[in-house]
Amino acid sequence: MIEIDARGLRCPQPIIELGKEISHMHAGDKLILLSDDPATEPDLVAWSRMTGNVFEKKSTNSFIITKLSER
Amino acid sequence: MVRVTGNFQSESPLHPKAFEVLHAAFDSGWADPDKLSQSSAKARQLKNNAIESIASALAVGFDSIVPVSPTSLGYFLGIQGLLMDSLTLIHGATDRKDVFAIAGKNHHQVLSCALDGKLIPAKIASHQSVLALQIGNAETGVIQECDAIIESSQSERIFLDATTSGIRVPVSNQFSTALFDSKSWYGPSELGILVIENTTQWNNPLPHLNAAHSNFQVSLPLLLASAVALENFSSEVVSANTEARRFNEELRSAFTQLSDVDIAGSLDSSLAHMLSISFLNCNGEELLRGIQNDGYSVDSGSACTADDLQPSHVLAAMGVLTHGNIRITIHPGTTQNEIDGLIKSVISNVNKSRA
Repeated sequence: MIEIDARGLRCPQPIIELGKEISHMHAGDKLILLSDDPATEPDLVAWSRMTGNVFEKKSTNSFIITKLSER
Repeated sequence: MVRVTGNFQSESPLHPKAFEVLHAAFDSGWADPDKLSQSSAKARQLKNNAIESIASALAVGFDSIVPVSPTSLGYFLGIQGLLMDSLTLIHGATDRKDVFAIAGKNHHQVLSCALDGKLIPAKIASHQSVLALQIGNAETGVIQECDAIIESSQSERIFLDATTSGIRVPVSNQFSTALFDSKSWYGPSELGILVIENTTQWNNPLPHLNAAHSNFQVSLPLLLASAVALENFSSEVVSANTEARRFNEELRSAFTQLSDVDIAGSLDSSLAHMLSISFLNCNGEELLRGIQNDGYSVDSGSACTADDLQPSHVLAAMGVLTHGNIRITIHPGTTQNEIDGLIKSVISNVNKSRA
């Protein structure tokens, strides 16, 4: 599984890095996003709603993203 | 230096009539209204006239008005004054930090909110509670359905936060205490108007000798200026709302032409003069600076613009994008040219930030 290590990066960089990586993936693919920015989790909620993809919180700074849409 | 021609920040300009009164009051000086001299009697009369004028505009009793400064003190007085040891404080997830600070020192329960910013009413097990309810949100302008939430909570004691909504929307008549902010009607800032509607439910939470009597004073010139601003804005508020709504519609329509925008709350259920909008993959600080360089000033709820680098708790509670956020406040006197210029600037800076 691809891993994006965005620890140390501040908003909106973790979401921008996620957007870049996921654009190359296929529906059903998963990746891990590591981020310690406090804005990442609330932004993943909005990002999922806006793009149609989903995320699951694995641990404090770790999120599993599943691509479901074309975005 | 770049001259800021368009003020779209929450800081409101002083009403021109209030400005005149403030100048005159500081020029002529004033005596202590509580003393017995002739000049004190005049000051007392001016103070009483101001309070009477404020009470009349807010449709509350003269004796229920307690001016407080700074406004944040009004939260403590209005909420803590209703709380007794056994009571639970119920408040919304999108309330001001002042309310969270008070809740942290008391038994409390937080009402969550939906994507549209409306609080989700919850059944409260006990009537032994104080409900703190914000009428219009300070960041998004979302207006709560106060009567439904009050009915659902069945709280005996209600604190209404009218600091942002002011006289722009009707205030529910079901409250024990309510707090207004003078700047919401373009009066001086840091002057709050606390209304204590039910004196039997309120006790002064500050150290005092008389529990029913407030032991603090505010600046007389600020109070006079606030009363004049309120009196004037009362006759202007309908047209101010109409004009702000027209501009707000234009802004929303223009910005939603861009891809990946997230607007906090619908215009129909928000204060007409406020707009909070987030742009995916944009840096809020860069946006703010770019717009500022074009001559327009706006606010932001993004973490990168906050002192503590925390995202807006209001946007997070709603599930709205917290980065790339700008907040626009439309004040009376805003021109079509300024709105057109702001639209052009925001679109240009969003495109630049995403490039």
